[in-house]
Amino acid sequence: MSTPLIGVSKSMLKIKELINHVANTCLNVLITGETGVGKEVVAQSLYRESSRANKNFVKINCAALPETLLESELYGYEKGAFTGAHKKRPGKFLTADKGVLFLDEIGDMPLALQSKMLHVLQSGEFSPLGSDEDFKTDVWVIAATNHNLEESMRNKTFREDLFYRLNIIKIDIPPLRERSEDIPALIEYYYRMYKTEYPNNNGTKPDSQTMTRLCAYPWPGNVRQLQNCIKKQMVLNSWDKIFEELPRDSTHDTLHVTQAQAPSSSLNQFHSEVNNDRLKIISEFVDLSTSSEKLFEDISLKKIKKLASDKVEKEVITFVLEKVGWNRSRASKILKISYKTLLYKMSEFDVSPPVK
Amino acid sequence: MQVSYKLLYGLLGKKFHTINYEADMAAPKRLLIVDDNEDILSTFYEFFNSLGYEVKTAVDGFAALKILRDKPDFFDCLITDLVMPNISGVGLISIVKKEFPDLRIIAMTGYGDQPGALASEAQADLVLFKPIDLFKIEEKVSELLGQ
Repeated sequence: MSTPLIGVSKSMLKIKELINHVANTCLNVLITGETGVGKEVVAQSLYRESSRANKNFVKINCAALPETLLESELYGYEKGAFTGAHKKRPGKFLTADKGVLFLDEIGDMPLALQSKMLHVLQSGEFSPLGSDEDFKTDVWVIAATNHNLEESMRNKTFREDLFYRLNIIKIDIPPLRERSEDIPALIEYYYRMYKTEYPNNNGTKPDSQTMTRLCAYPWPGNVRQLQNCIKKQMVLNSWDKIFEELPRDSTHDTLHVTQAQAPSSSLNQFHSEVNNDRLKIISEFVDLSTSSEKLFEDISLKKIKKLASDKVEKEVITFVLEKVGWNRSRASKILKISYKTLLYKMSEFDVSPPVK
Repeated sequence: MQVSYKLLYGLLGKKFHTINYEADMAAPKRLLIVDDNEDILSTFYEFFNSLGYEVKTAVDGFAALKILRDKPDFFDCLITDLVMPNISGVGLISIVKKEFPDLRIIAMTGYGDQPGALASEAQADLVLFKPIDLFKIEEKVSELLGQ
């Protein structure tokens, strides 16, 4: 019944490969990505491919429950532990034993519970509320969040030690607008799903023109938003109406998208015409279509420096190699780097002689 | 003739070691070095390579794991950074300890105590804190590999 991981983009293929390589290690996993990108789908895939697939997959949303309730949900309680605890109740750590515990929205977990969580992850032991007994637990913890936990650590809202303990394997799912190649496959999947679910509905699939529009839309709500659109289409059967109802910011190029999406005044000043050239250069290295908050996160000079220098280096290396007929030792002398460094850079930038 | 030969190798320094190893007929020790910082990676590569080690590099734990699973029993020592995308150094060490128990492991970190402590918990043979003197690492590698 659970959703398969759909996607043909490079990033999704890499995620599938990673899942395949780590599913049987049962090492803690941290899944990050914007709302609606499919973090739970990735968690489910890990579980299905693991040796724990025949045990429980237990999910808890750390943002949805108040602190005390979250605590009793996680660890369970004894009869009489607090007012209203009429009978003993097992916690998620117990029901997930030998299986998977999926901690959704871990970034919203209150600090007090974070330290308790850390203790369980370190020792593999926990005790239900009102109990003196320690229980051993063997759960595979997969956590997910749409927060930037590095930033939360700096703001002291997330414990550093818990972060490093969860971040053993990190799966970052890019937003849908960065992998629009996945959109047709997702549409096909959800179309079939809803067709099976509601066989009497006569919503049509998008024609090629509509598909182009769908692929160009930035999907701020990611896959979940796309899924909802397909569902709506099954009822409305009008792509035009669907487009009308989509948040109006942005069906065209990224620069316009930024303009429409960035309410912050500091960003608006970017957009005078004088700044167009500057924007063009920046957009080569930073995705300007993201929200202003995310955008500022991405503008790390160190990261951009690396991207920019890589880009230029690659071109220069290729240029020189072509000039010297792919004689690598000559090229390394011209470039004033060692032969080994050249080979290393060629493999990193994927530079290879043309196949004859 | 003999003298100038020696002089030449002496001057080249790097070559001198390579020749030495070949003269000893000992197979070069194989290192897998993992770091997401390209500068560190190429510095390590150059350094260990010049000392006669056979070196392969990987940009994160995932790339390293693929290399290791592709060539089990090939490497003698793994030198890995800890905070990396995809599979972290700690993750890599845990997997390696299970799948390739003979491989010696040196962990290096520049992120304070947490990752280092986790690496020790995952049973890395040695945890070093950056910045690290390359010659010191070579000494440790040499010790671990019983040279």
